[in-house]
Amino acid sequence: MRSIVHSLTRVTWHFCLLTLTVALPALVHAQPSADAQSVKALTTSSSGVLLVLRDNGLFATEGGTSTEITLPATDQRTQPSSLAKGADGSVYLAGPGLGVWRYDGAGERWQSLNNTLPNLGVTAMAAHTTQPETLYAYLEEGGMFRSRDGGAKWMKVDNGPEEPVQAFLHSDMPGSMESGWLFAGTTRGVARSMDCFCFWGDAGDLRGTVSAISYDPAAPENIYAVVEGQLHHSADGGETWISLTVPQDVTALAFSPVQGLVVGTASGDLLAPSADGKWSPVHD
Amino acid sequence: MPLVQMVNGRLSMTKLIGLLVLLFVPALAGASGGSVSAFSAPPEVAQGRQIYEQYCAACHGGQGEGATAWKKPDEKGEIPPPPHDETGHTWRHNDGMLFKMIAEGRRHPFNKSDRLTMPAFGESLSDQEIGAVIEYLKTLWTDEQREYQATESQ
Repeated sequence: MRSIVHSLTRVTWHFCLLTLTVALPALVHAQPSADAQSVKALTTSSSGVLLVLRDNGLFATEGGTSTEITLPATDQRTQPSSLAKGADGSVYLAGPGLGVWRYDGAGERWQSLNNTLPNLGVTAMAAHTTQPETLYAYLEEGGMFRSRDGGAKWMKVDNGPEEPVQAFLHSDMPGSMESGWLFAGTTRGVARSMDCFCFWGDAGDLRGTVSAISYDPAAPENIYAVVEGQLHHSADGGETWISLTVPQDVTALAFSPVQGLVVGTASGDLLAPSADGKWSPVHD
Repeated sequence: MPLVQMVNGRLSMTKLIGLLVLLFVPALAGASGGSVSAFSAPPEVAQGRQIYEQYCAACHGGQGEGATAWKKPDEKGEIPPPPHDETGHTWRHNDGMLFKMIAEGRRHPFNKSDRLTMPAFGESLSDQEIGAVIEYLKTLWTDEQREYQATESQ
């Protein structure tokens, strides 16, 4: 009897070992490294460190090293999708089901700015480029909201463009009647308004769903927009656009004080153009 | 609470007078060109209206209705004169910006011609007259728009 039990134990042990040998490598492949995850949004911290939002989390990337930043503890169904940097360097995170949050770098924690928003369905947000307390949020069911006190009080200012907004940008490009311009990436192209919300008009004839938008703070007439993976550039404030060739599908944009224009790709890479126009990995 | 109460199945005289006032006073205010009644409008509104009709109405319309298709730039990139009534965006600007616009004019940044999109009136109108025009424009807005603009002007 004892020998039968011993034999059964050995068979079970060998079966477990075999299972682990076969299954473990597969499990490892099923969990790709952070850098292989598509880039959903990009911005920089006050010190110029790239902040990269991927499907598997938010990462601070510097010198080839990525450090994960814990996302706000919210419902699993939330979808972080937007990052923005305020005029004082504050970092903001937003998304459907998430609302708007500000990162407190010193305390390494997130602060909810959702007390006076009517709902959490924020599909895009932007921070004013020169006024640290002014923020903008677009709610799929609600329209455009603005806060002038850092997110404590939100007020509806406008319905927004006719088509839903996917990406949002405030720019200090000259020529506004107020303090700057708003560029909204919609399902139809790029819409533009002065930041008094006078009215939304087409910024040129770029058509398609815009998934990311950014501008060059050193030369504000230069706007960049991504339409279905293709990068486009306007050198005249959105009046005319040309497409730029990038070796991968582009999913996110940011302007880094160090690298200049940085694009995030569907393959998870971060690329920047060199002087000769070739695209290279950011930290090589 | 019902607006009109019946007394023994009949409308009381006091309530009837109240109802007539409610019905006719807004109509009279509307007839004077805006939603602000003549009783609450600042005294310079009448002066502002006269100046508006002389200097502004030719482009922005006699009732502040603006040009048709004012949101669409023309072939030179110029934005047609916008409305100043509740359908436009004048109410989104604070008093200081409105004063500057009228006094200095404005060239739209995407205007491909050299001329000002909105001409300057600083040499034709005094500061007081420009202020009167702004007060008149405020009578063309809704209460909510006036409240928004007052907040923007603080």
